[in-house]
Amino acid sequence: MAEKKKVKKEKEPDITFYHPDLLAVPENEPPYLKGYKCKKCGQLDFPKVAPCPNCWGEEFEMVPLSRKGILYSFSDLYIGQPGLETPYICGYIDLPENVRIFAMLKGEVNTFKCDEEVELTTGQIRMNADGLPITSYMFQKA
Amino acid sequence: MKLQRDVYIAGVGETVFGKHKMDYDELGRNAAFQAIKTSNIDSPGMIGSAYVGNAHNGIVTGQTIFKDLGVCGATPIINVESACSAGAMAVHLAIKDVAYGLTELSMGVGAENHTLRRKSGTAFMPAMNDIETVHGGVMTGKYAMRATRYMYETGATIEDLALITQKSRRHGKNNPHAPFGGDYTIEEIIDSRMIAYPLTLHQCCGIVDGAGAVVVCSKEMMKKLGIEKPVKVRGSVVTSGPYHNRPRDITGDDITEMTSEMLYEESGIGPKDVDILELHDAFTIAELLYYECMQLCGKGEGLKFLRDGQATYGGQCVVSPRGGMLSYGHPIGASGAAQIAANVKQLRGECNGYQVEPIPKVAMSHVTGGGLSGTEHAACTMHMITADW
Ligand SMILES: [Zn+2]
Repeated sequence: MAEKKKVKKEKEPDITFYHPDLLAVPENEPPYLKGYKCKKCGQLDFPKVAPCPNCWGEEFEMVPLSRKGILYSFSDLYIGQPGLETPYICGYIDLPENVRIFAMLKGEVNTFKCDEEVELTTGQIRMNADGLPITSYMFQKA
Repeated sequence: MKLQRDVYIAGVGETVFGKHKMDYDELGRNAAFQAIKTSNIDSPGMIGSAYVGNAHNGIVTGQTIFKDLGVCGATPIINVESACSAGAMAVHLAIKDVAYGLTELSMGVGAENHTLRRKSGTAFMPAMNDIETVHGGVMTGKYAMRATRYMYETGATIEDLALITQKSRRHGKNNPHAPFGGDYTIEEIIDSRMIAYPLTLHQCCGIVDGAGAVVVCSKEMMKKLGIEKPVKVRGSVVTSGPYHNRPRDITGDDITEMTSEMLYEESGIGPKDVDILELHDAFTIAELLYYECMQLCGKGEGLKFLRDGQATYGGQCVVSPRGGMLSYGHPIGASGAAQIAANVKQLRGECNGYQVEPIPKVAMSHVTGGGLSGTEHAACTMHMITADW
């Protein structure tokens, strides 16, 4: 009987990586979020939605979004997602482009207020399935 | 959905909610069999179709529940998932079958067991392909941000929010199905552990197991079954959450506003005529906002409505007479069906020890489902039922 050769398949790496479409971190310059403007109807979205939910257009122009916005609301989370250290802070940030961003906030619990100005920054938001840190957008007090 | 012919509720069933050793299928079977018996159904062949709502317990949940009841075979059994809205959505689909004449009798069941499987000490969240989830989003946070903004805009305090827990748990105090019912002081509620500022433990529904079941049928079938207290379905609406990522007012809830509007239209019953209401009070703030969204009171008057006693016995509308999710806990897929079962029992005057007096004639239920980035909730299901005897 022929011997069956067992080939151990290499584990595919976790491809959880959101940066290229969401966030640009240029060297020696502050980071910015990438808005996408539908070439057919002009609707601006973040994150990118394709096709455009408004007109089903499929072509977009990248538009850097404002780095500063207004903290519409927030919460300090003491019970959070599995695998995330608590407490952590979440908020909705409204940008002048008429876009609302949900993000983690960098700072101390009990310190944020509605309607205060916040600015874009970056930071580690979580680990991916391979145990590697995922860096993404965050906001902090301006 | 415009009902093409009259649809009635023949019977209902619900299990005690709480931490169960019984898995979801046994819970679901208990509730379903209770509903079958109270409907005077004497053979499995009478059940034309069955829908089963569940969120986390795996695949072919409906068939697993119904096989021991002898219902599997020619009867279509369809499994329904839409997070917290699943159980009510299952009932909606059963109503649809009868309303359109596809069946004479159908069932909607919701069943869930979380505690046998779930890691405790963490919060529910949408799937990891949702951008808010990747960035730490959980349902508690979503509601907590509503509360933060509401307090900021109205000057309401955590003590004000705690009034909701106090009222609903008092309602649930003598309800044997409601494990968290009882008398709580405001201090106990606000001094309990912080979950997501400003929501403390006692302002959040507990994670429990349970099931509810509803049998719906045509007028002819209802007569054949000899049902003495037929409950009439006056409206059943399912909607999906409008998506956009623009700034919006989260002290409102677009999907609840839209769905209740549609339900009032469909049923011909206005908000001021609703005697009792079970709503999605997964967190205190939700109930306060939903008074306004459902037009029980004007925009900005939710707190006054509560303080004036309009949401309790003797008020305009008794909200959460069974004790709500704050007293029952919230087995995701089960809650929507259990709300309807509880409402039917109130209309029939079967709630010894927690019966609303005078016995209500009009009952409404509301359950949203899940949350996605760019929506308040992914789904909303509402029902209006009335006493018809
Ligand atoms: Zn477009």
